[in-house]
Amino acid sequence: MEIKPQQIYLINTPTMKQELVKYLVSNICAGTALNQEDIFKAIIKREQGISTTLESGLSIPHARIEGLTSFRAAVAIIPQGIQDNYGKDIKVMFLFLSPSGEQYFPEHLKLLAKLAETFTPAFIDELCTLKTVEEIATKLPF
Amino acid sequence: MNNETTNAQNKSKVKSVVVISTAMLTFITFWKAAAIVLCDFGSSAFYAGGIAYNAFGPAFPWYILGVSFFSGLLLMMYLESCSMFTRSGVFPVVSAGLGEKAAQLAASALLFDMALTGPISGLSAGNYLIGLINSTFATFKINIVINPEMFSMIFAAAVVIYFWYQNVKGIEDSSEKSAKIIKLSLIICGILFLWSAITLALRGTVTLPPLKPQLTKEAMGWAANIPFMQKVGYIGVLIALGHSVLALSGLETLAQVFRELEYPKIQNLKKTSMIIFVFAVVFTGGLTFLAALIIAPQDMAKYSDNLISGLAMSLTGPTFLKLILQAAVVFAGGLMLCGAVNTSIIGANGTMNRIAESGILTDWFRKIHKKYGTTYHIINTICLTQLLVIFLSRGHVYLIGQAYAFGVLWSFVFEMVSIVVLRFKNREQKREFMMPLNIKFDHFYIPIGAGLVGFIVVALAGINLLTKKVATISGISFGLVLFLIFHISSRLNAKKANIMFEEGPREKLNETQVPELNKAFENLPYKENVIVAVKNADNLYHLEKVLTDLKDTEINIIVLYVRPLDNWSAGKDRERISVDYKELFTQVILKAESFGRPVHPIMVNGNDFFAAAAQVAFAAKAEKIIMGVSGTYGANEQMEYMVMAWAALPEKYKITAEILWPGREVSFKF
Repeated sequence: MEIKPQQIYLINTPTMKQELVKYLVSNICAGTALNQEDIFKAIIKREQGISTTLESGLSIPHARIEGLTSFRAAVAIIPQGIQDNYGKDIKVMFLFLSPSGEQYFPEHLKLLAKLAETFTPAFIDELCTLKTVEEIATKLPF
Repeated sequence: MNNETTNAQNKSKVKSVVVISTAMLTFITFWKAAAIVLCDFGSSAFYAGGIAYNAFGPAFPWYILGVSFFSGLLLMMYLESCSMFTRSGVFPVVSAGLGEKAAQLAASALLFDMALTGPISGLSAGNYLIGLINSTFATFKINIVINPEMFSMIFAAAVVIYFWYQNVKGIEDSSEKSAKIIKLSLIICGILFLWSAITLALRGTVTLPPLKPQLTKEAMGWAANIPFMQKVGYIGVLIALGHSVLALSGLETLAQVFRELEYPKIQNLKKTSMIIFVFAVVFTGGLTFLAALIIAPQDMAKYSDNLISGLAMSLTGPTFLKLILQAAVVFAGGLMLCGAVNTSIIGANGTMNRIAESGILTDWFRKIHKKYGTTYHIINTICLTQLLVIFLSRGHVYLIGQAYAFGVLWSFVFEMVSIVVLRFKNREQKREFMMPLNIKFDHFYIPIGAGLVGFIVVALAGINLLTKKVATISGISFGLVLFLIFHISSRLNAKKANIMFEEGPREKLNETQVPELNKAFENLPYKENVIVAVKNADNLYHLEKVLTDLKDTEINIIVLYVRPLDNWSAGKDRERISVDYKELFTQVILKAESFGRPVHPIMVNGNDFFAAAAQVAFAAKAEKIIMGVSGTYGANEQMEYMVMAWAALPEKYKITAEILWPGREVSFKF
């Protein structure tokens, strides 16, 4: 999966987690036939299960979407951090959608593993020091 | 790395590591299990023949042999009961089959048996020893004859006191010692068989003992006043069998040792039963038969209290060699009989503890010794009763032998009838073994074979009631006193019993805090590990599946419970509900015990279940993390988080995560 600068957002204004999710979903869905409202609901429902925020400061809201044939993602870097519902700090939000078919599930898990492995606290700290989305894009191993 | 980075890593780090251990997770081989049972059951070979001889004369070996063969059928009945109850034995089986009051009566009969096993075994060991001493004096023309009864009484009392002290201190696993005793006994048995064969060959002619019992008036008991019972026909055979049935004492130990049997449990129990059966026929039946063939009729009375010594001394050969063989018989027999004293104390303590666990006995009985942690009030009561029996008997084995069969038979009656009743009452219950001879009708397996065994046992018990005055009077008196104690105690303890019933049983757990995760796995027996994460005592399907499917027995099964901290933050609010970890681990232990496979429970405190599971798996170098499906989340969500938690570890290797639930599983290697 490739992450282009236009899929990366540097958030410097205070916001809430749900607002940020909504924002990223709207950007992923822009110009597609995907139903923004349904996807937002699916992601929030997933978040109400086990929170996808890791102690490192990475949050990975995601959903498996019926009809989708490829993975889609958007990344937000929040240098000042926001708090999730359980009091964990979020400094990077990597939101992605994956196809719902069972054959895609291993790839879905691999992506989650790669994200958790890549976004170490040190790497997140480094990303937070960068000033432009282009700089950030060059650092991301996607 | 800045402070925030370090904080992030510290937050998800497990906070406290507790290794849980219990004696209940130690399992033994079928051979050791057989040895434990044989030290009790097989010891009756040293006195059963003599007691039967005193009751009905020279026909005794046929009946002892018959009873030894009958043990095979009883063993099959025990197999069926053990296949239903891991913690088997008279009390749980009769409780389930006939109810609690019947179970109390059955336990009373069994405790009567155990109260006499100690004294009869101790006295018998004393008889063998004094027989050897007196034989030695006679051989070397030393004109001293020690009173056998007095000597045996003192010896038996000393043995009971010794094992009382050992049991109060908390006896260590004795299976290794039992195995050595049985090996030694088998060697001596082999020598006796070989030498007996040579003796019989040299004598040329072999006169088989008569089949017809010569019942003395004493052996007929009250039946002597019932005209039709005086005719020695089938009833005479039953009376004679009733006098021989004490050779079956100790089979209950099989039910008690089943809990400790290693995986695969039922297959191993079958092997254990086969060893016991062959031993019963060859050792008890065979040696008794050889004794009857070889000991001169005029010497039988002299050797009735130490029949196997009599066999050794009646063989053809030089006296000094026979004396050495007698010494060997006394040594092995002494060890086996003394072992039976110990087994009777352990067995009675175990039975009383089972009764106490059901809430029937008051706290006085359950009181734990401050230093040794044993139920010393129960042990004291058992040993005092045994000492009382020894002194009341004045050292006469025959007298105790008369009373002895009551407990053996009536505990069998309750157990066998319960097994038959359970076929109808619990017909859906899984049985890995069923007593043969069944007719399938609708949902029932009509137990023809089990019914026949039950009928024989009831018939023998009924006959014994009439013929064994001492047994009937003492057994009923003892049983009633004990039943009364149970009744009063259960009344006094009713409130506590209700609480215990609601809470369910709790295992005694030893909790050892270790400073870091790695230390928790230092003493594991094997190199390979799997982690089974548990959270809910009612959701252990995945553990059961692992215990069933994991064929390689050389893999440590580490059972992990992540105890949420107060600031638990990685899930919904409902996850804050604290789990009763003692109940959880009790269920884990019971599950492992039912399979006979050891597990290694560990508890860690952590903010995040998945992060903690990943750290534990990494520290243990586990190849798999196995979880049950959560009632709150879906399996896929669990797998996602497990994958993330593992990937977030600073160091890692390839691992497989599995989520198991009835009929489905999700597995992923990453």
